[in-house]
This record gives sequence, structure tokens and C-alpha cells, in this order.
Amino acid sequence: MNRIGRREVARRIFAYEFNRSTHKIESKEEKSPIYVLTPTGMRCNRVFVVGVLLDKEETRPDTNFWRIRVSDPTGVFIGYVGRFQPDALETLLEVEPPELIAVVAKVRHFEGETRSFASLRPESIAVVDSDVRDYWVYETAKLTLNRIKAMEKKSSEDAILAWQIYNPDLEEYRSIVKQALTTILEPVVKVREGREAEEIEEGEEPEELEELEEEIFEFEEEEWDLSDILGE
Amino acid sequence: MDKIAELTEQIVKRFKDSGFDVDPKEVSKRLNLLIHEFKVPESEAVRTVTNYLMKELEISREQLVAESPLVKVSDITSPGRWVSLKAKVVQLWDATSPNVSQVGLIGDETGIIKFVIWTKAGKGEVEEGKSYLFRNVVTDSFAGRMQVNINRSSQIVEIDEDIQLPPRELEVVGALVAIQQNSGLIRRCKLCNRTMTKEVCPVHGKTEGYDDLRIKGVIDDGENFYEVILNEDNIRELTGIGLKEARKMAEERLDRNAVLTELKNSLLGRYFRVVGTRGERYLIVREVEFLKQDIRELAGELL
Ligand SMILES: [Zn+2]
Repeated sequence: MNRIGRREVARRIFAYEFNRSTHKIESKEEKSPIYVLTPTGMRCNRVFVVGVLLDKEETRPDTNFWRIRVSDPTGVFIGYVGRFQPDALETLLEVEPPELIAVVAKVRHFEGETRSFASLRPESIAVVDSDVRDYWVYETAKLTLNRIKAMEKKSSEDAILAWQIYNPDLEEYRSIVKQALTTILEPVVKVREGREAEEIEEGEEPEELEELEEEIFEFEEEEWDLSDILGE
Repeated sequence: MDKIAELTEQIVKRFKDSGFDVDPKEVSKRLNLLIHEFKVPESEAVRTVTNYLMKELEISREQLVAESPLVKVSDITSPGRWVSLKAKVVQLWDATSPNVSQVGLIGDETGIIKFVIWTKAGKGEVEEGKSYLFRNVVTDSFAGRMQVNINRSSQIVEIDEDIQLPPRELEVVGALVAIQQNSGLIRRCKLCNRTMTKEVCPVHGKTEGYDDLRIKGVIDDGENFYEVILNEDNIRELTGIGLKEARKMAEERLDRNAVLTELKNSLLGRYFRVVGTRGERYLIVREVEFLKQDIRELAGELL
């Protein structure tokens, strides 16, 4: 398949679904990209996310390796930014949470002892306004509903695979979409955007987060490859 | 439908389209024998049976192919026709199903159309930017749009002609997800206008240059991406930064890269509506603006 060397589309997905995406798709072909399959049958390697940067925290002092938490109306994405993502790092260092940001990120997948876990590895971060967030929620809702329809029809190989692996309750995902759309239709209360997101219950975090972070950190150190230098 | 029935129908239809009636029972019997008993590959079996029928009917391949006429993309308006066309591969998409070997767009000077090469067609791969003769492909309609399917009886032959594509205007709504290198305040060669790196033109070497402002970026709508080039006018309209302002900024901060950083800060991660024509690789932008939408109305439609 002529996929090698082609840019990957930045997929749209809500945090709720992203955090339930545990299945990795790896091709035997050399250099072909790694994907995470989501419960609604989408394979993603890159994502575009707009949400509230809730906090940023250096995982260990003086490593300049940061854990970020980015919330959308459905949950919280976890991401890691280090010196190998200089563009993203530069912006991150200047942003004070809570702040609305748009993130273009590669999807990272790690297998822990008891469960696996998807996270973001941002390529770029930009501070944006609530119009961008609202359109992102709308767009992500629309594309998620399309995927739910494709799941019902079992109209692609990935949909069939997602049924086998996740056997998802599509009503659950439909109600998440509805919930997200409702939040952007609610009248805007002019406090900082961060407030409403903070009230959302936080997604369950993997228990062995710390061990995983160690692993991610080491992995990132090894990942210093050409694609980073060339900016792809 | 089982394989034999499908192939039988294909052959019978091909002869019928050419004005010849053949007996489906006969076709199916021969295919069965070749495929199931002698384990001949399907494409070989189809070819063998077709050749047999041509001999029986005393017709030449030209007569048969002549009815699978050479058409232009704009002639393709109804499904289920056997046609041949000369076209250039405009874009390859990711094939999301293992049943599909390649999928994307091909075009000639009259239009652009989606094509699908089925894995079981067992054809070689086509490349973006190359021109081919697609012989004996079947027109189809999917989601209200025409496409062509390349199957077992089709042939793809690379040709030496450079098929021209129509100027094609399209509108894209998506997020700017990347701004690539060689964007911002750049230098161009005075002789040929090519972008220079460190005052060196790739053709003319070290020579005189001039300043220009541009962005090479990627607009992504979550399903496809489009590489775009924004020129000085586009950039000024969006950000208020034209060439004059960019030069001033670079001088004040003693850094030409300051312009790029500024453009990234004000454009990355935002949504745009872009109208432009598709070039070989880039979407040549005619109009670009920050997306303005009535989000309440849009969201309301989904609920
Ligand atoms: Zn030159």
C-alpha cells in the first residue's frame, strides 16, 4: 500500500473515546506508521485537539519533560512534551493554565502491566479562542456521529475490527457527543474558560502512570530521529 | 453472489455491451472448470474464456475493446459502463479496507474522478503524477458520485503522455495543522524567482535575491489534508503583516525567523475557509479567511 511517506491526517476525537482506545495496529511493513484503533472504528496516528490546558507539570525536576492535561467537554487528554518537540515546548513554556489551546499531536500508545494507554505527543501547540474550540467540538461531534453510523452498518474493515475488540455501546458514544454539543450551545458565562472544565470529573488515570512516564521519557530520548529534525 | 456468477456476469455483459450475445451457462461452466478443477487464477480464467468466445464468434479483440470506448472523464455519467480512459493520477488516498489496493483521484483535461483498484484485481500500483491508460474499467456510482472501478479484466498501462488536468477550484474548511520550513520572510532569486537558502539559488548559485513573504502549510479537515501556499496578499489579509511589516519586524528583532514565529502564533490551530485550484501538489489559494460559522445553528442540526 502506498502509505509510506504520506502525511497522516489529523483525526478528530473526543477525550472520552480517546482514553478508551487501547488497541494498537502495527503493520509488518517497515517504517509504516503505528495506529491506535478507537472504539468507533477509526485508526489514528495523528490528532487535532482543541481544549483547555488544565495544568502542566515537569515529570521530574529539570528534565524539561512536561506532562500536560487538556480537557474537552467529555474528558481529559494526557500528553507529554519534551525537548524533541521544540515548537510545542516553546509555546507550552509561555502558556499559563488554564488556557484554551489547539494541539496537533502524534498518538502514543504504551502497554502497562494491567492496561494500555494512549497519550498525546504534541507537534505544535497554539493558544486559541473559544470560537475555535466551539467549531472543534462541532466538527468532532459530526465526524464521531459519522463513525457511529459506519459502525452500525459495519461498513469498513476497521469498523468490524472495532466491534470485535471493543464491542462498544454505541448509545454511550452518542450520548457523549450530545453532551459535548450541549456544552457549546449553553450560554457563555464570562468567567475564564477553564472553570467549566475543572468541574468535569477527571478521567480515570492509569494507576501505573509513573512507571509509564519513566518509560515514555526513555523512549523519547531514543526517538531522536530524522523526522524530528526535518519537521516531517 | 459467488465468484463464478460474478465473473460470468462480467463476461456476458462485456460481450453484450459489444453487441454479442453469449450463453451464461456456457461461460459459467468453462469458468468453473478452469477455476475450481484446474485451479487457474481467476484473471487467467477470465482471459481464457474471453479468448475462447472471441474465437467462437469470430471477432477480434479490437471489436470487443472498441465497445469499451475511450472516453473522457466528463463523459462518465452513468454507472455500469465498460470504458477506457487516459488519465493522470491526481492523488492517492489511504486505502482503509484490505479489499482495496489503491484508491484516489484520476483526471484528464475534462475532469477528475475517484478510482478504486480492488485488491483482487491483482494490478500493479499506480503513482501520483503519472499518466496511464486505464483499459476496460467499470463506471460506478457511490454516494451520488461517479467513480471507476479497476477489476480483474481491466488493464493499467503507463503512458508517455503527460495528461493535463482541469483547473479545478475547490473549497476546503479545515484547521491549519502545520506551517512548513521555508515559510515566513524568505529570499527569492532575482533571475528565476526560486526560493534561496542562505542566498544560494538552487539553479543560479550565489546570486542577488529579493524578499518575499509566504506560507507553505497544511489544512486538515479530519478526513483529508491539503497542502496550501499563501502569498503575501493572503497573509496580509489574515494577519495585517505584509512584506513591509515583516521586514520591519525582522530588523527590530534582528531575526528573520521572528516573522515565522509571529505567523505561527496567529495562524496555527485556527480554522480557515480556503478556495483555490489544485496544482500538482499544492492547493493554489485564491481566497482564504478565518472560518466564521453560526455554531449554534450547526450544532443544533446535529442534535
Ligand atoms: Zn535562480
